[in-house]
This record gives sequence, structure tokens and C-alpha cells, in this order.
Amino acid sequence: MPTLTIDNQPVTVAEGTTIIQAAERLGLVIPHFCYHEALGAAGSCRLCAVRIEKGPLKGIQMACMIPAQDGMVVTTLDPEAVEFRAHVAEWAMTDHPHDCPVCDEGGECQLQEMTIAAGHGTRRFRGLKRTYPNQDLGPFIVQEMNRCIQCYRCVRTYRDYCGGTDYGTFGSRNRVAYGRVTAGRLASPFSGNIIDLCPTGVLTDKTFRFKCRSWDLQEAPSVCPHCSLGCNTLPGARYRELLRVKARVNRAVNGFFICDRGRFGHGYQNHPQRLREPHVDGESVSWNDALAAVHERISQTTEHHGHGTVAFLGSRRATLEANLLLGQWAAATGCTRTVYECHPEFDRIARTVAARLGDQRRSPGDIQRSDFILLIGAEPLAEAPVLALAIRQAKRNGARIVILDPRPPQLPCAFEHLPLTPEQLQLALEQLATKKFKGWTRDESTTLRNLGKDLTAAQNPVIIGAGALLGAAGIERLFDLVDASSPAARPCGVLVPLAGPNSYAAGLLSNGGPDFDDLLDAILNGMVKTLVCLETDPFEDYPQHGRAQSALAQLESLIVLDALPTQTTRHADIVLPTTVPVESDGCYINHEGRLQAFAKVLDPGLSVAVTGGGDHPPRIFEQSAPGNLPRPAWAILAEILKLPTETAALRQQLARTDNRFAALTQIHRAAEGEIVTAIGIPPRPQDDDGAVESSVPGSLQLWPIDTFGGADIFSTYSVHLDPLRDEPYILLADEDAKQRGLTDGAGAVLTSELGHLKVRVRCTATIPAGIAFLPHLLRGATAGFVPGGGALSCTLKSVEGEA
Amino acid sequence: MGLWRDISGTWKPMWITLRYLFRKPVTIEYPEQKRTPPPRYRAQLILTRDPEGKERCVACYLCSAACPVDCISLQAAEDADGRRYAAWFRVNFARCIFCGLCTEACPTLAIQTSIHYEICKRDPLSLVFEKEDLLVDHGGKDKFYNFYQHAGIGVCKPRGGGDGEYGPVDVKDLLP
Repeated sequence: MPTLTIDNQPVTVAEGTTIIQAAERLGLVIPHFCYHEALGAAGSCRLCAVRIEKGPLKGIQMACMIPAQDGMVVTTLDPEAVEFRAHVAEWAMTDHPHDCPVCDEGGECQLQEMTIAAGHGTRRFRGLKRTYPNQDLGPFIVQEMNRCIQCYRCVRTYRDYCGGTDYGTFGSRNRVAYGRVTAGRLASPFSGNIIDLCPTGVLTDKTFRFKCRSWDLQEAPSVCPHCSLGCNTLPGARYRELLRVKARVNRAVNGFFICDRGRFGHGYQNHPQRLREPHVDGESVSWNDALAAVHERISQTTEHHGHGTVAFLGSRRATLEANLLLGQWAAATGCTRTVYECHPEFDRIARTVAARLGDQRRSPGDIQRSDFILLIGAEPLAEAPVLALAIRQAKRNGARIVILDPRPPQLPCAFEHLPLTPEQLQLALEQLATKKFKGWTRDESTTLRNLGKDLTAAQNPVIIGAGALLGAAGIERLFDLVDASSPAARPCGVLVPLAGPNSYAAGLLSNGGPDFDDLLDAILNGMVKTLVCLETDPFEDYPQHGRAQSALAQLESLIVLDALPTQTTRHADIVLPTTVPVESDGCYINHEGRLQAFAKVLDPGLSVAVTGGGDHPPRIFEQSAPGNLPRPAWAILAEILKLPTETAALRQQLARTDNRFAALTQIHRAAEGEIVTAIGIPPRPQDDDGAVESSVPGSLQLWPIDTFGGADIFSTYSVHLDPLRDEPYILLADEDAKQRGLTDGAGAVLTSELGHLKVRVRCTATIPAGIAFLPHLLRGATAGFVPGGGALSCTLKSVEGEA
Repeated sequence: MGLWRDISGTWKPMWITLRYLFRKPVTIEYPEQKRTPPPRYRAQLILTRDPEGKERCVACYLCSAACPVDCISLQAAEDADGRRYAAWFRVNFARCIFCGLCTEACPTLAIQTSIHYEICKRDPLSLVFEKEDLLVDHGGKDKFYNFYQHAGIGVCKPRGGGDGEYGPVDVKDLLP
């Protein structure tokens, strides 16, 4: 632990800390470009010059390159160092195009800040400026190479940290440039991070291009709603429109990075189809009339059919506050059937996780420090993309990554892959725990046995598994395996990505209650006549669409609170428009039980771009903004329950009522969130083991899966993400394709119990024969194929005349 | 003494009035007669054009940031040839205090003060000027400045074709 002196202030830091990091500990910011906490230093920009007065290397040195040593004396304000830095800033500006007025980085540009900090103001260089050609980097990123200062941050972010391969350094001497070999979309799903990391305006957000200045943005700390990881974000809005999302630092969750789904998937907030007004029986009404109608319908149902005939359905994407209030409302109406997740399999998984996670929970931050990661039936890029980034960091730190999965893995790092069928995965989970291997080929058996041994020998192992392939029974087995490989001295970690941003809360709140299957039975038996749905879409999210439709059609009234139109809002008798996450305060509990609060960024309302039709805003004076009627779901429920509709007071009240969420009162101050340590009630054991029915000869076992393009409602309503979503395709083994006379890229017709579907064929050698995968997309052609409902039996026929 | 002071106090102003009867008046008969203010007078804001006749405003938002009374609002947009311009530009002259800070902040000399001072209206909404009310077809006080000729990002000219530039370089060239 060396102790050094920087600007006359002593500081003790860990071995290996550089001077720039030590200075940061003291609150001194040494000017820099290429150094970044997550990337380390490259020593390429020469801006962080300081003078070392005492130490092994004396004189002007780069603070980011010299490790702190005991007894070192450093001055940052030495006149020679100051002059050196001023010169470096001047050099960085010699080829700069001086186009700050038209540069989107303006206002949050590190080059602007550092140039001013270094004191450079007048251009003395009289030579010509070098210019570069630009490249089209796809729909998300704009490149303007003339602004580049050659700090290598983009390449270090993209290649080293995010594991992308299609972006690099070109040229020599003063022609060093960054880009792709040929123009095109950056392939990495984390490409957007180079926008955040670039210290100048070389790489800017195309979806945000020329929309707003950073100083005009309304910003507030938020949490990404696109998956269960709960990455911290900083959304920015202006003129009633969400314009961009940046990563916010949370070292325990996402570090400095987010994925492209979270960054560019913000179009849902101002989607033209947003629900803006309360509706009763298709008629637009005022809030008072709508709430009166809700009261009337519920009291009518209770009067005519007795207590308990009103049921309530919570949601994985509604805030914790709203879900808690829904439970209170249900209790007040005497309802015994409150369900918090409309996908029974995901419900059981969430309950299992909430009941069994305990001290073995791991965050992506912990994953980076792991030395052995075993992924079983998990596809991090689809289910929790930033997790893939964390796994890559673990790999860079020397971890071993083993994947047991039928799909060809897409991790941005090297790994060992054993393609097993979903049934074999269950077997592997069971036998890795018992250490008795039966029913495998000789090779497989040896591999699994060695895997079991390595798992026991590892210092800090983590097992990652997801529900789409494993199912609830598989997740139970996964936890058994985790328990079996956790001797007292060294617990084995576990991470299970869940279905939605608040799935963990749904699992915790279920309290051993009925699941949605039970609720549908009750509706079909006529025991439930009215259903209140809170930001959930049972018509689309329940795996068997036909069953959900026939049951929900029997309801007397369907009351829905939601922000975006769904099948459920289309069938609803009463629709109450709610806000989307950025438009209200709220809390989510992520996959590991981390309670995180997000704050309101903007008020709901039709954006100025819409009301003005692209031209200036309408020339009228109004007290309120048009389209501002949506209200936070928790505020609507609090009003119904006559509770405070103000965030802090409501959270106090909720924390008092349910002491599992005592952290709610302080949560807005917790920088990294608070772990909810309450233990949920595990789901009831199931008879059905999720076994796939024996299939007809010649048919394929079809597994609907999620992809990176996103299947959640917020992604599908985000038009910017459209380039990430392919037309429906089926992924199958080469031999299966060959048997059916299909080739890669050919058109085919998929026939299953859900009817016919035209798909494109993608084949790969790594998939075990007899299995096929179909990406699910809400509101798309594959909407009926909901992941997590087990496999379907399907046949595939080639389409004549398609290339 | 008191009496003398009262008498002089009565006659002196009358004498001054009488004297001024034969001098040229300082005031003018506004609005029949109008005065031309000096060229740097700070009255209504205008949006000027560059020597090529294109809008100078690049919608950088510096004027709205500099404005102490928040009377400027605008929205930037991009046209087909990559030029950044203001899709709409609104100045609320009911708020404007004619301080001219926006013109000092403007990096492209687009927003300038003009000598047109007759903008009083009865209806406050008619004091809200839109872009078409502000845009003029001349360069204002500077007839020659063209921002894009100096900003080296290849808008309105080939890349490397601006003043004091060369290139674009071949980035795949590894020759020393």
C-alpha cells in the first residue's frame, strides 16, 4: 500500500494504482483523454503530464502510465507540466475542424473541456488541416473522423471491452483513423458504448442527431426496462420526447456500459399509438368518469356474483409500487386470486428464484471477478445482454467459460461449447449435482465428469441458466446443482435472468398464491367475472393464446391499465392510460433482488414534433400539454385506494405495510440499489415435468426463443431497433435442412399447431439434430410462439421459387 | 431676497421657453416622421443569410442558451446535403430585452440585431416571431462570412475542400 504525495496532499492507494487514479481519490482531476476507469490507460494522448519531484522516474511523466510508489512526490500544477499540457491541447486542435456549432458532442465534449482547461485559446498553427473520409456505420452511429484526436478509446471499448471484431485502427503517422474495413452497421450489440466513451464528436448517436443540446435535456437517473438486469441509464428528453439514453455508472450492475437494445430502444415513449385517454366501452371519457366506472363495475360484479369474483393481474414490467398497491386493492375487494405474472412458467421461475437465491446471488459486477462460468441453457445476448459483457470481462481476467446449450452461442469471447438438446440439459443439471453420469456417450460423459470436477475446484464459480429452455423444473435443478457445488467454505454463485424488469418482485409478491393457469380455470368455471390487468398483456404473453382468448372472452368486464396498445387493451372494457417508466418515479427489483429506484425524466404528453407537425409548435396558449392524461399506474391505484399520490409519502406507507420493502423509503438515495433479502415462497411442485411430447416422425422440436432485437413490448414499439430484428427465420441443424432439401437462406413454410408461417432458413452445424429455434417477436408474425412454454412439434417444407 | 427669487423664478423659465421657440426642435413628429437609428442599434432580431444566399443559422442553440430571458426556442434538423438548419426558430419579443447577448453568442453571425424597432403590437401572440418573420435575404452587418467554408466537415463543399484544408487522406495507406 504505497503512500504518495500529490500537490502536497498525502494519499495511500492499493499496489498497482496509477498516479491519475490516486489523484482521483484526492478529488484532483488530471486532464486526460485516453485514460478511462473501465478501459485503463493507453498513454497515447500525452495530456495527463505531471511532474514527479521524487521517485524512481523524475521529471515530466504521464500520470496514467506510472504506478504509484511509496514516497513519491507529484505536482500537477508545476509550470512546466502546465505548459506541456497546454501544448498537447494545442496539438490536438491543429487538425480539428472547428465545427462545434454543428457537432452533437458540443456541451458535453471532453475535448472542449480539456482545451479550455489547458488554456489554449488562439490558433497559432498556420499549416493546412488534415481531413479524413467518413464511413457509414449503420443506423445507430454517425462518424465524423475530422474531429478525431487519436485517443484509441473507441477501439479499446469496441474490441477490447465489448469484444467486437469489425472496427479497428487504420493508417499510419498522422493518418491514423478508426473504422470498419467496409462501410456498414457495426455488428457488436454493444456498439453504442463507443458514443459514450468517445471524448470528442467523432462518434455520435444517429437517433439523437441534431435533436437537442446536452444542456437543454431533461435528465434523471433511471433503470433500463428492457430486461431483468436493471442496468442504470440516464435518459434525456426535450420537448416532451425521449431523445436518447446513456449509460449511468453502477459498478455492481452495468459498470459504464449498456447494450444497444437499452440505448436505442427508446421509441416506445413517444410512439404514435400510445394510449393517451381513458376509455370506457370504447368511448373516450374523463379520468373521474373512468374511475367511477371502475368502481361501478367492481361493485356490480361483487354484488351480483359475490366476493372473490374480481381478480387482479400484476405484471413483470409494472413498478414495485404499482404491484404492491394492486395487491392491497385486491385484498380490499376480498380477492383471493391475485397473480403477478401471466406466463405460468416464468411465474414459477420467478418464485423459485425469489425463494432460493439467497447469498448465492451474483450481479454482473460479481461475474467479472469469477474464475469459472458455466452457462446452461442461457443465451445472455438475448435474455440479459450486458451479462455477456460481464462474462467477457471475466474471460479477459482469465476465467473459464463453458456453455451447455443447443444454440450456437453468441458470446463476445472465447468459450467451450457442448451442444446438448434441452432434454440433455435437464439430465446434465441433475447428474452434475449427483456426480453420477448415465445415458451419455463416452466423450460426453468424460467432458461432464471433468466439468463437475472443475466446478468443485474453482475458486469463485458461477452458474448461469435461463428459463426459456430449462423451464421451471430446470431452474429448480439448477439451484439443486448450485447447492450441491457449494461447500461451506466457498459458495457457488448463480445468476438466472428473468422475464422482465420487475419479475423478481412478481415472484416475491406471489406469496405462494395461485398462478395464471389457476386464474384461467377460475374464469372458465365462472368463478371470476371481472379481471383487472396492470400493465400486462395476458392475450399475448400467455403461451397458449387460444386458451387465454376463450377464457378472457367469458369475462363480464376487463379493466386494463397500460401505456401502449396490446391485444388486452383492444379487448378491454375500461382502459386507463398509464405512463411509461421514464415518465414516472418507480422501483424495479432486478434478477438478483436488487431494488433500484428510477426518477421521472419528463411529463407525458404529445411531443412538440407531433403537435407542430415538424414545424413550429402551435401558436396557442394552453394551460396544459396535449396528450398529458396518462398517469403513473401507482398514482391511479393510490387514488383508488385513497392513499397519498406523492412518491415519498406513498413509499413510506408501502414500506410500513410490507416490511420486506423497508428499503423503499431510502431507495432514491442508494447509488447501487438495495438488495431485498426477503425470501419468497417457492412454487408448488408440478406434476408435468415440461417433457416434450413424443413427436411425429419427420417433425422437428421447435423452441421459440428471444433474440437480441428484443421481444418485450418496449422494444417492439421502438422503431430504432427495427434494423436489429430480422424477418422470421428458423435456426436448425445442417443435417435437418439437408433432409428437407433446404439450404441456408432458403424460404420455407413452417407448419405447427399454430398454423403456417413463412420463414427463412438458417442452418448451422452446431445444433443437435431434430431441434429448431424460432425467434419470438411480439406484434410480429411470430407473436404466437411465446418462449418458455416448452417445445412445439413442427414440420418444415421448402417454398418453391424462393431464393 | 425672497421676493426677488420669486420674480426671477417666474420669468426665467418663461424666457427659456421663449428662446427655444426659435430653435430647431429636438423631438420629431413620430409616427409621421421616422428617425433612422445608428447601424449598431439593438432592435428586432433577424436571421441573416450567407454570401451564397443560404440560411446562416445552424441551429446550435447557443443563442437560446445565452438568452437571459429565455425568449428564443428552436429545433435543429438536417437537410439532404448534411447541412444543419433550424426547422423552426421562435423569438418571443414580448419577453426579449434587446440585450444582444444572442448575437454575441452566435458562432455563424446568423442572428443579428437590426434597426427595425417598430414591433409593438396589441396582441401578445403577434409578438411571437417565427422563422419566416425573422429570416431576411441579406447578410446583415457582415456580408462575407460563411461558416461552412471554415468548418471542416465537408458540408456544402467536398471534404478537404474548405479553407486551409487538405485531403481527404487515404487511411489505408501505410507509406511513411
